[in-house]
Amino acid sequence: MIQYQTQRLSVRFFLLMLVLLLVQVALGVVLSLQQADPSLLSGTLNFNITRSQHVNLGVLWILSGFIGTLLFVGPILAKRELVAPWLIRLLFIALIGVTVWNAIAIYFAQQGIAGWWLGQPWIQEGLEYLEAGRIADVLILIAFVVIALVIVRTFPHYKTWNEIHWGLAIGVTALAAMWVFGMFFVGRIDLQEYFRWFVVHYWVEGVWEVIHISLIGILLVLMFKADVKAVGYAVFWGVTLVWLSGLLGNAHHYFWVGTPEFWQFWGSLFSALEPLPLILCFWHMYLDAHHDRKPLVNKPAFFFLLGSAVLEMVGAGILGFTMTFALTNVWSHGTWVTPSHAHLAMFGTFGMLGLGAAYWIVPAIRGVKDFDQRFGQLSFWLVFLGMLGIAFAFAIGGTVQVFLYRTLGLDWFGGDLYPQMMTYKVLLVLFGLVFLSGVLLLVFDLYTLGHRVRQAAPTEALATYTPPATGWSRPLSGFEAGVWLLSMWVFGFVITLGLLSFNLPRVQLGDPTLPYIAAGVGYPGLLIVTLLFVWRFLASLEAREAVSEAPMTRVAAAHAAD
Amino acid sequence: MPLDDPAVRNETRRRRTALALLGLMAIVFIVLSGFSFVSSRDQVTPDTVDYASTYGAVDGKRVFQSYNCMGCHTMVGNGAYLAPDLTDTYELVGPAYLAAFLPSAGRWPTEAALLVQLQDPEQVSETGLTDLADYYERYPGARERVARRGGLSTYMPSLSFREGEVKHLVAFLKYTSLIDTEGWPPVPKVDGLTFPQASGPLALAAAGEPGSRPGSSTAAVSATEAPDSTTTAVVRGEELAGQLGCLACHATDSSRLVGPGWGGRYGTVTELADGSSTTIDEAYLRTAITDPNAQVVAGFPAGTMPSYAQVLSPDQVDDLVTFIRSLEQP
Repeated sequence: MIQYQTQRLSVRFFLLMLVLLLVQVALGVVLSLQQADPSLLSGTLNFNITRSQHVNLGVLWILSGFIGTLLFVGPILAKRELVAPWLIRLLFIALIGVTVWNAIAIYFAQQGIAGWWLGQPWIQEGLEYLEAGRIADVLILIAFVVIALVIVRTFPHYKTWNEIHWGLAIGVTALAAMWVFGMFFVGRIDLQEYFRWFVVHYWVEGVWEVIHISLIGILLVLMFKADVKAVGYAVFWGVTLVWLSGLLGNAHHYFWVGTPEFWQFWGSLFSALEPLPLILCFWHMYLDAHHDRKPLVNKPAFFFLLGSAVLEMVGAGILGFTMTFALTNVWSHGTWVTPSHAHLAMFGTFGMLGLGAAYWIVPAIRGVKDFDQRFGQLSFWLVFLGMLGIAFAFAIGGTVQVFLYRTLGLDWFGGDLYPQMMTYKVLLVLFGLVFLSGVLLLVFDLYTLGHRVRQAAPTEALATYTPPATGWSRPLSGFEAGVWLLSMWVFGFVITLGLLSFNLPRVQLGDPTLPYIAAGVGYPGLLIVTLLFVWRFLASLEAREAVSEAPMTRVAAAHAAD
Repeated sequence: MPLDDPAVRNETRRRRTALALLGLMAIVFIVLSGFSFVSSRDQVTPDTVDYASTYGAVDGKRVFQSYNCMGCHTMVGNGAYLAPDLTDTYELVGPAYLAAFLPSAGRWPTEAALLVQLQDPEQVSETGLTDLADYYERYPGARERVARRGGLSTYMPSLSFREGEVKHLVAFLKYTSLIDTEGWPPVPKVDGLTFPQASGPLALAAAGEPGSRPGSSTAAVSATEAPDSTTTAVVRGEELAGQLGCLACHATDSSRLVGPGWGGRYGTVTELADGSSTTIDEAYLRTAITDPNAQVVAGFPAGTMPSYAQVLSPDQVDDLVTFIRSLEQP
């Protein structure tokens, strides 16, 4: 099933990814419990330690998934074996070592030990997302350089590169380059935040996005035999739009950190454009999945890939849009409204890509032609639903928090804010458990895939049953997909107006009706439409076998328009 | 596809334009970045800020990072969202309240604990304030906090700060409160305390244990039962320990909170930080209250406990000592 032997190296990174994912999500559940009862484990595992581990592992497993996917597609793109596979084996051991070391090092914050030497914190740094101390920083930098070297040297001469080659090569190089900006202690808060967002924003919205677009592109080519030229076109414009909007869009992190007011203009303007490439990616996903109407070979892989493109648009695109204007951000900044966007965007976009890639690559390398796909599908629905619920709990709890904290000026978290937010704190725990159950299932499934005896499907008739291609399962037309997309954005605008309404004198005098109604309509509306759309999209694909002979005029027309 | 195909040429031209635009934006970004940090902006920098002319704000930032404060709190709005934003805390509550709160973060400071800090010469040299009423006037947030939360449990774990770290943190928080953050966070237009949502103490008390006030109810009960003079001294001492906030740091059993637990200590031989050892007798306890850094118990940092010499009369010190003496090992 695979062409190049060195592609096998990717499996171990996916297995590592799954372990880290499981630990990260378990810690996330602990965090949600600590939010509900801050005295839980206080003194033993303080919230800031749990939270730092949660954030760091989130980055590490996503990177591990990236590396796994890169190692699989690298040889395909290069049409030859990876150079220096021994370096990759070493990298794997080093990655485990750094992960373990960093987990131990972060714990030292509980004793206030950072390991200051030569003006730098060598053990742990105590900055959000950049908690790793210099020792881990240096090792991680070396690891990034190794990845970049192996990938770029594996590729053929650069003159023969297409857009996917370029996207990945630039992505892996910039991954290492951006990391350097987080490796210096800065005394000034404004300057520290300026450079901290170099790493965080340009990583996520610059580099990871580029790797994401390129990997989605190549996976679509592999899955649907999509036209490399068309995908390459989408990759180029996707990447270019990401940078055109994201380069100055970074300014939305410079509104209130002590940097000048002019950033509010540039940040509001350009980061409002940041959803554009995400819509493009989403739309291409639709086109590529529909261009030949072949039945899905590997359902879980496509489910997660679709989830990645959709949640990128909803979590990063729409929820990011709602809080990107200075006039809305001044309210959402520093509240629970922010992690609502961050969770949906981060796990949705990058996490789901890694999981989709794992479902495509692990069976391919293990030589499993036919596996029970029901576990994978169920786990997709569990994590998808769980994450939508988490985003909902954060968003509504956050709206209450904005009103109490910013409008009424109540700052006593334990006394004034917690009792009012408690419902949403409990919801967070519940949806977290749904999410955890999905993760447990998919970790079990991917670990044992190809090793366990295949369960016979209940009956032959059920196994080959395909739903009729009518009603909910009828083919999804471009027009209908557009209507779904539009309705998501309508709810996004309702949310934006809700945040804007905090500026009204009426609300500022203590009447929360308007923002509460807007949030109460906007967030559930957006998340439910997202859920229904993904359900509808997948239903139409599952019914393909029945309609593979059906006329393709609409889809062909949509594709010709591209 | 042939290179002279007009579609290919148009696409190539479009791509070149896009890349040129990208270059232009990079230039805009770099120029804006340069303007952000020019000294003529008059943005405050931490190297120019200190507390009591002794503790630098940059060192304070190192302490802030060492304890990963951002992992619960936010600073200029960034960080975790479990605990309050700290950007303007100094401006609201002032250095004495912070110094009273930080070493024993598990409980909110009482008025007496704030009074003790007001005697601290470094505090006086910084603010010029020794009177509580004046302090409350300048830092109204301290008044509100003492009135609403004084003596109640917080959700923050007590951190074992080393000598000087608290004052460095105060310096850092002084710096952050001076930063011009372009109008963030928005200033409330109403007094939130008049709204029904501000029902803090009630909600906490309903939750049970964490909200209970230390050292009040038990004292009242035992006072009615035993009227002899030693017992009344014990009762007075227990009341004082509650009011002064002693119990925020010292447990009435032998467990360690911030300082050593009191239970079963009296009469035992204890090793001191300087390597010598001493018996915990009345003389030792008196010195420990009035000059806490003279004989520090081994394993505890010096400079954490303030002196209570200016706050307590000799009789009150005796009452406290009697109370501590009465605590048996449970």
